[in-house]
Amino acid sequence: MLEIKDLHVSIEDKKIIKGLNLSINKGEVHALMGPNGSGKSTLSYVLSGKDKYEIEDGKIEYNGKNLLDLDVDERANEGLFLAFQYPMEIPGVQTSFFLKTAINSKRKYLGQSEMDALEFAKLMKSKAEELNISTDMLKRDLNVNYSGGEKKKQEILQMSMLSPKMAILDETDSGLDIDALRIVSEGVNKLRNKENSFLVITHYQRLLNYIKPDFVHIIADGKIVKSGDYSLALELEEKGYEEISQSA
Amino acid sequence: MELVLNLDKIQSDNISQYAQTILDNQNPYKNFKIENYKYAQLHKDITSKNQLKEIDSSELLKISKNISSLISNPVDLVSDLNIWKFNNDDSFFRVSSLLKRETRSINLDRIEDKNLFLDISQINENICFSKSSTNETNLIILNNQSNDEYPKSFFFDINKNSKLNVIHFNISNYKSFLYFESNLQDNAYLNFVSFQSDNIHTRNEFYASLNQECNFDLFGLNINNHGVNDNYSFIQHIKPSSSSREIFKSIVEKGATTNFQGKIYVDSIAQKTDGYQMSRSLLLDDISRANNKPELEIYADDVKCSHGSTVSKLDDEQIYYFNSRGIDTEIAKKILKKAFIVEIIESIQDDQLKEYSNLLIESLLS
Repeated sequence: MLEIKDLHVSIEDKKIIKGLNLSINKGEVHALMGPNGSGKSTLSYVLSGKDKYEIEDGKIEYNGKNLLDLDVDERANEGLFLAFQYPMEIPGVQTSFFLKTAINSKRKYLGQSEMDALEFAKLMKSKAEELNISTDMLKRDLNVNYSGGEKKKQEILQMSMLSPKMAILDETDSGLDIDALRIVSEGVNKLRNKENSFLVITHYQRLLNYIKPDFVHIIADGKIVKSGDYSLALELEEKGYEEISQSA
Repeated sequence: MELVLNLDKIQSDNISQYAQTILDNQNPYKNFKIENYKYAQLHKDITSKNQLKEIDSSELLKISKNISSLISNPVDLVSDLNIWKFNNDDSFFRVSSLLKRETRSINLDRIEDKNLFLDISQINENICFSKSSTNETNLIILNNQSNDEYPKSFFFDINKNSKLNVIHFNISNYKSFLYFESNLQDNAYLNFVSFQSDNIHTRNEFYASLNQECNFDLFGLNINNHGVNDNYSFIQHIKPSSSSREIFKSIVEKGATTNFQGKIYVDSIAQKTDGYQMSRSLLLDDISRANNKPELEIYADDVKCSHGSTVSKLDDEQIYYFNSRGIDTEIAKKILKKAFIVEIIESIQDDQLKEYSNLLIESLLS
């Protein structure tokens, strides 16, 4: 599904990612853990295609395509989804209208006809209910005056409606209380199947109690220093980043 | 408003000397340094190669009643200069249009329809509208394909307890210089929405005088214009407890210039005034200009008045967010432009007219 080889990335001449390798297969859930400034969020932006990041070296293959050749919107329509740590506020754009436009953009890209209004309303309603999102919120402007938890739920709603092949969750657990964390995690778990993959970026092992990863990677100073299974996350919680990184 | 002057006697009257002074000393067609006109560039012949659209009024006439038959014979009147609190900054447009043109009147109480229509580009005179009834009335004034370098004036005389909504479609004009004067008596209400698009050289002046406990809303929208398009407003609160709300938004691109100058004046006796003014421009390229100049002049101490002004461009981070959800940049920009101005369309209270305006604006957004 996703194959990152010897990736080097800088922003404004500052090297952030320094030779990162990562391979994610269909149906797998990978967790990426690391301290502040280790390059976690940079990796998520590079995967989504945000500009201002200089790819100095390396390759990223996604579903047999060179990911770096695709524009941001093409990547999204090819099934790549980034749930943002800090979702943008879009005043003047109703949440439901944004969702509808996103869905129809993807359908147009795939050569399908637009989703009819009734079908869309049904889909949105059922997905919103799963995430405990009120219909009132769907009428409000996107992310405007949403609480931190509401913004994260909104990201997961967008994800579940777009049903991506490869989803990247960038610190989705930050700013969530226990109840919201459980609801968001359930939303993610419902989407898990043999055909799609997840990269869950987090500081804390807590989220991984809810979303059980198949693999855990530790990133430090722009590269992956240790990989393992779920038990690595538990070990990390006990020993901290410094000790684990040094022992690697 | 009080009617004080017969135009025929203008040469012999005191005010004629006043008018002559204005014409001589405050003529923005000759002197581009007049403060209230300094961005309008009236001394220049602004042209453009753009072919301007013709608005088919038949769609509007399906939802409104043409009131051109209600226009009176010429009346002997000009607006009462004594009501205005500006110092030496009288409107050249008002003075010159009253000297240059005849003035006719329309009594809006004479018709029962809710939605009224008048094509002001077909009329060469100034018009004085009056309204006394408390019926909900929407007056649509269309100005399309005008090419007239002389100012024209429109007066709105809103009597006690009366309500009026005005929608001004100022679309696709070569040259158009309009003066709008509203006089709101106690407890009167006026909602004025001005849509401006596809124009080459325009200026609109909005003067409003507010008595006790009245309410004036003024919304302006300026999109996809060419050349120089200018708005000036002067809103005076002369009695206690009235409120005014003014929001102007412009999207400026392709080398156009859009200006907004607006003043809120609060008289010393107009306590409990609630005034709000906001002008915001979205500047889409480096060759276009947006000038916003808000002003407050307050002589009362127990008032709430605020103003703000912004000039910004489209937010790259917002466009990236749209892209990340599969929405391409072109569509994202169009949605964000619409989002910027939607507040103005939403200020229209009648659903049919709101729908019409929404479709028209969609078609005019480039």
